[in-house]
Amino acid sequence: MSFKLKALLKSPWVFHLSTGSCNNCDIEILDCLTPRFDIERFGMLLAPSIKHADVLLVTGSCNRKSAERLKRLYEQAPKPCLVVAIGECSLSRGMFIHSYNCPVPLDKIIPVDVYIPGCPPKPEAIIAGVVKLIEKVKSGK
Amino acid sequence: MTRKEILKNIQEKFKKDIIDVFDKHPKRVYIEIKPGSIVKIAGYMFKELGTRFNIATGVDLREHMEILYHFTDEDINLLISLRVKLPKDKLEIDSLAPVFEGANWIEREMHELLGITFKGHPDMRRLLLPDEWPEGVYPLRADYEEWDEKAIRDRGL
Repeated sequence: MSFKLKALLKSPWVFHLSTGSCNNCDIEILDCLTPRFDIERFGMLLAPSIKHADVLLVTGSCNRKSAERLKRLYEQAPKPCLVVAIGECSLSRGMFIHSYNCPVPLDKIIPVDVYIPGCPPKPEAIIAGVVKLIEKVKSGK
Repeated sequence: MTRKEILKNIQEKFKKDIIDVFDKHPKRVYIEIKPGSIVKIAGYMFKELGTRFNIATGVDLREHMEILYHFTDEDINLLISLRVKLPKDKLEIDSLAPVFEGANWIEREMHELLGITFKGHPDMRRLLLPDEWPEGVYPLRADYEEWDEKAIRDRGL
């Protein structure tokens, strides 16, 4: 494991991007930050800018306009940047798969490390996904 | 003004322009009008009656393209929808954006999604669709077909 990744795992700062979601996944992400679920015990903080972030959380089915912005954000992120897809829409576009405005799924636009399914996923599922992400990076796969 | 007076006023004032009045519900009235007289009637409803312009909706139906202009009178809790039927070979109607600013963006949206031309609109640029979208393809029409060859429409199973 590289030194950078080791440093990253102690306190992964996350940047949250909604690429045209219905806001339900975003509410669940905010729930994770509340004292009840308290994702900060893993050292996670919401970063205000992608340039400060180590993890990119993506919700929503990428539409034609937000796909461009998503690519630009991923290019701006300091590498190594881990990408977490949250919710059915960002995994496979869910019910929007035949929409004229959602041509490709998220993992054809940028590489995705962890998929968290659900519509919306419960905060417990998000925490479990994040823990799996940390395990995955630690084991060096 | 009460509900009765409003409906009576409109019907008397625009006797020639109104095709049909459909009184659906105590809170909902549909008035079908001729496409040419939309500016006159909508201007009267907005300026004289003081109703609020909610939104306009466009639908591609089998026989014609239909636009509904929704106006609400909040004092008496009444929603009046002006229904306009446009023939499919001539999708043109006068723009309401010079009369009230609220019609500006929804007309741009209907223009790009349904292909209806609004005559006299001040700024007919695209609102929602991306720049690479081809000209003359309207996604909300019933006969829309996939044009993007790079699009992936299966779940990869």
